[in-house]
Amino acid sequence: MKSDIQKVRNIGISAHIDSGKTTLTERILFYTQRIHAIHDVKGKDGVGATMDSMELERERGITIASAATYCQWQGHQINIIDTPGHVDFTIEVERSLRVLDGAILVLCSVGGVQSQSITVDQQMKRYRIPCIAFVNKCDRNGANPRRVVAQLRDKLGHNAVAMQIPIGLEADFEGVVDLLTMEAVYFDGPNGEALRREPIPAHLLDEARTQREALVDAASLFSDALTEAILEEAEVSTAMIVEALRQGVLARQITPVFMGSAYKNKGVQLLLDAVTRLLPCPADVPNEALDLDHGEAPVLLTSRDEDPTVALAFKLEDGPYGQLTYIRVYQGSLAKGDSVVNVRTGKKIKIGRLVRMHADQMEDIERIAAGFIGALFGVDCASGDTFTSPQLRLTMTSMFVPEPVISLSIVPKDNKAQMNMSKALNRFTKEDPTFRSFVNEETGETIIEGMGELHLEVYVERMRREYKAEVVTGQPQVAYRETITQMADFNYIHKKQTGGAGQFGRVAGFLEPTDEADFIFDNKVTGGAIPTPYIPACEKGFRACLAKGPLMEFPVTGIKVTINDGAAHSVDSSDMAFQAAARGAFREGYHKARPVVMEPIMKVAAETPSEFQGAVMGLLNQRRGMIVGAQDEGPMCVIEAQVPLAEMFGFSTVLRSATQGKAQFTMEFATYRQVPASIAEELIKKAAEKKKKVA
Amino acid sequence: MLNNDLTLRNPMRLLGPSGDAPLAAGAFGAVLARAGVGKTAFLVQLALDSLLHERKVLHISLNDPVHKVALWYREVLAAATACKASRPATSLWESLQPRLFIMTFRVEGFSVPKLEERVTDLTAQEIFAPRLILVDGLPFDTEAVEGMLREFKGLAGRLETPVWFTVRTHRHEAPAPGGLPPQVAPVADLFEVLLRLNPEGTSIQVQALKGGPQGKSALPMILDPATMLVRDPEASS
Repeated sequence: MKSDIQKVRNIGISAHIDSGKTTLTERILFYTQRIHAIHDVKGKDGVGATMDSMELERERGITIASAATYCQWQGHQINIIDTPGHVDFTIEVERSLRVLDGAILVLCSVGGVQSQSITVDQQMKRYRIPCIAFVNKCDRNGANPRRVVAQLRDKLGHNAVAMQIPIGLEADFEGVVDLLTMEAVYFDGPNGEALRREPIPAHLLDEARTQREALVDAASLFSDALTEAILEEAEVSTAMIVEALRQGVLARQITPVFMGSAYKNKGVQLLLDAVTRLLPCPADVPNEALDLDHGEAPVLLTSRDEDPTVALAFKLEDGPYGQLTYIRVYQGSLAKGDSVVNVRTGKKIKIGRLVRMHADQMEDIERIAAGFIGALFGVDCASGDTFTSPQLRLTMTSMFVPEPVISLSIVPKDNKAQMNMSKALNRFTKEDPTFRSFVNEETGETIIEGMGELHLEVYVERMRREYKAEVVTGQPQVAYRETITQMADFNYIHKKQTGGAGQFGRVAGFLEPTDEADFIFDNKVTGGAIPTPYIPACEKGFRACLAKGPLMEFPVTGIKVTINDGAAHSVDSSDMAFQAAARGAFREGYHKARPVVMEPIMKVAAETPSEFQGAVMGLLNQRRGMIVGAQDEGPMCVIEAQVPLAEMFGFSTVLRSATQGKAQFTMEFATYRQVPASIAEELIKKAAEKKKKVA
Repeated sequence: MLNNDLTLRNPMRLLGPSGDAPLAAGAFGAVLARAGVGKTAFLVQLALDSLLHERKVLHISLNDPVHKVALWYREVLAAATACKASRPATSLWESLQPRLFIMTFRVEGFSVPKLEERVTDLTAQEIFAPRLILVDGLPFDTEAVEGMLREFKGLAGRLETPVWFTVRTHRHEAPAPGGLPPQVAPVADLFEVLLRLNPEGTSIQVQALKGGPQGKSALPMILDPATMLVRDPEASS
C-alpha cells in the first residue's frame, strides 16, 4: 500500500436522495479503472451499481450503508465513502463525515439545494469538512446550474464560485467550459472517456470571461501572490489560482462548483482532477483525540507513521467471512501482527487480516498507514471504538447519538428464526448506535427502536435477507414520554408493622417541572430529619419511578424532586423503607402536579411541484401538522411543518399518491410536545386494554 | 401571564388604540429605512403584536428562507422576554406559532395572482386565514411595483386584511418633490401609513411620514439598535 500522505484523499459524496451520488461514484470507479463496465443504480441490468452492495439497496435504488472503496487518479489514492441520502440513516452520514477529510456535495441541477442538502451541509459544517460542489444532471429537463450556484450562496451561505459553465443544457448538454484553462471540454467515446479540448464557442466567450474574472477575484482573497499578480497585471497562472482556491477550500471559505451529468458521462474526470487538486490530504486536517489520563484533554494527532497508533472503527459489517471493521488510522500505522488496545474495553487485540475495500470486494494488504482507511477482520468491537498503541489512552471524540423516536415489536416465526434474529440484532446494534433492541419484560416481545419508520423497515428486511430470520412485526409505537406541568408537594409516610421487622420512613418535599435535565434530585433536608445514610435510598426510590410513569407507564422526564423534611425510626427505618417511602411520595406528588403525556414532534420538509402545494398542505394539516411556512422555489415548493411522529406512519405512500409520485419528504426529530387531550384519552384507553390483555 | 405582560409593555400599542390593529382592513402601511437599519425587526414586532392579540399573521419574505424568518421571530421574542424564565417563553412561542404562517418567494417569481392562489389554498382548506399580511423585501425601485401594489390593494380588500411592506431607501438620494423618498412618492396615495426608521446618534427614531397617530410626525417610540426592539423612550428600560 502506498503511503505518501500528500497523495491521499479521504472523501465522501454527500447529497439529497436521488441527486445521483451512487451513479457519480460508479462513474468515478469506471474512469479510475476500478471497474470495467457501468451499471445502473436501480439494477435494470440485473447487476446494480457497484457501491450499492446490499441486495436491498439495489432493489430500492437507495444507498443505505456507507460502502467504502478506493481508486487512483493521477498518482493520488482516493478513498471514497458513499454516504446514504435518506435522513433516516443520518447516523451513517455523520459517521462517514467523522472520518473524512473532504467531501463532494452533489446537487441536482433541477432540484437545486433541497431540504436534505441543507441537513447534509449542516453536518459538514459541524465536522468542518472542506467541500467542493458538483451540480449533476445538467442533461435533465429544467436543468439550471447557474440557479444552483446562486442557491448555494443564498440558501447554504457558501461562498460558491463556478469553476465551469455548461455548454448547452438539458438534451443539448454537450460539455463544459473550464474557467481555469479557458477551454471547452467535451467528453467523447461510448462512455465519455476521451476528453476533447477545444476553443470556447463564440456565444459563450463573454460569459466565460466574466465568470473567470469572478473566479480569479474570489480566489485572490486567499493568496497574496495572486493578488499581487492581478494588481501588477502580470500573468495569472492556473497553478496560482488552484493554490489560492485550495487554501480557501481548506479554510471552508470558498466552495468551487463543478458541473456535469454523471449519467451521461460528462464532467466526472474534471471533478476528479479537482478532488486531487483542491481537497485536503489527511495531513492538512487537524484531528484531535481525548486523553483519558488527563481528564479528556484534547490532544492533537500528528498523522506521522512512526508515532504510536490511534485509529477509529467507524463502521462494522457482517460479511461472509465474519465481522469486517472499517477503520481509519489517524496517527501511526496498523500492520499485520501489531498489538493494539481497544480503549473502551481495555482489551488488547492482535491484528490479523487487513484488507482494502472496494464496495463488497476486498484486497489483502500488509499495513494501513496514517491517514488511510482500511478494514480489519476478526476483531470484536463496536462502531465508534478507538484502537491505540498500548502506551496510549486516547479516544477519538464521541459522536452525537440521538435518542430513538420509534419502536416496533418483532416476533420470530420459529426457533430457527429466533436464533438468527438474535444474531442479527447483536450485529445491527453494534453497527448502528441509533438502532437499539431490548425485550419487554411484561410481554416477552423483542422491541427494536430507531430513528424512523424506514430505518426499522430496512433492518427488518435485512434480518430476513441476510440472516434468514423471518419475523412478524407489530404496529410501530411512538416513544411517548410523561412529564409534570406544575409544582406539587408530597408528604408520605411508609409504615409497616405486620409481624417481623417493621418498616418506617417519612419523606416530604415537592416535585416541579424542569428543562435542565430529565431528572434532578435536590436534598434540602436539614437537622437530620432523614438521616444522611438514607438519602441515597430516597433518590433511588424516586429514580425507580421514572422508568414507568404513574399516568400511562411511559418514561417520565423533565422532573425535579426536592426533599426538605422527613422522619426516621431508630429501629424500623432502613434503605428499603426509605426507597418505598420515596416511591409512595412520588406517586402522591405526581398526580397533584398535573401530569401530561408528551409525544415526539418531527420537523417535516415536503418538496412538491407548486401545483400540488395546496394538496400537500392539506395532508399535513390532516395529520395534526402545524405548517411553519412554504418556500416557493420556482417549479418546486418546500413546505415546512411540525408533525407528530404518530401521524407520519405511511405518509410517504399517501404523499406519493396525492402528487402523482412527484413529491418527497424528509423528516427529523424536532422536539417533544404535549399530546392534545383527546389523543391522550385514546392513549389511556389503549393502555388500559393492553394491560387487560397482559393480565 | 407573560402574554398579557408583553401585550401591555409592547410599544406598538402607541401606533393605534389598545387592542386594535394599527391599520384598518384593506389599508397599506410601509416601514422605510436604509439597508440594515431594522425594517425586518420592526415588521416582526408588528406581527408579534398581532399574534399576541390572537390575530393570524401571514409573513411573506422575498429575501430569506422560512427558517431564517422563523429565527427572526424567535430572536425578537427571546429579546423581548429576556428577563423571563425560559420555559414560559418557549411555551409562549409554541402558542404563537400556529397563528403565524411564513411564505417565501423568489423576487423574480413573485406575483399577486400567485400569492392569491396560495392564500386561497390555505383559506379554502381552513388551514390558515390571515388577519394581517406582512411583505418583506418587495423591490420598490422597479417600474412594475406600482401595478403590483394596485393588484395587492385589490387582494387586501378581498381578504379584508391590512398589509405592511418594507421599503428599502438609499443614503444619498434626494427626496421626491413632496418630500417623500422616491421609492414611495409615486405610490404614496395607496398607503395609509408611512413610517421611516431614522438612525440618530445611538438610537433609531421612528418617524411618521404619513398617517401618524393624531397626525404627529415624531412618534413616541424608538428602535433600540442593541436589541432591535421598539421601545418607548419615556419608559424606563
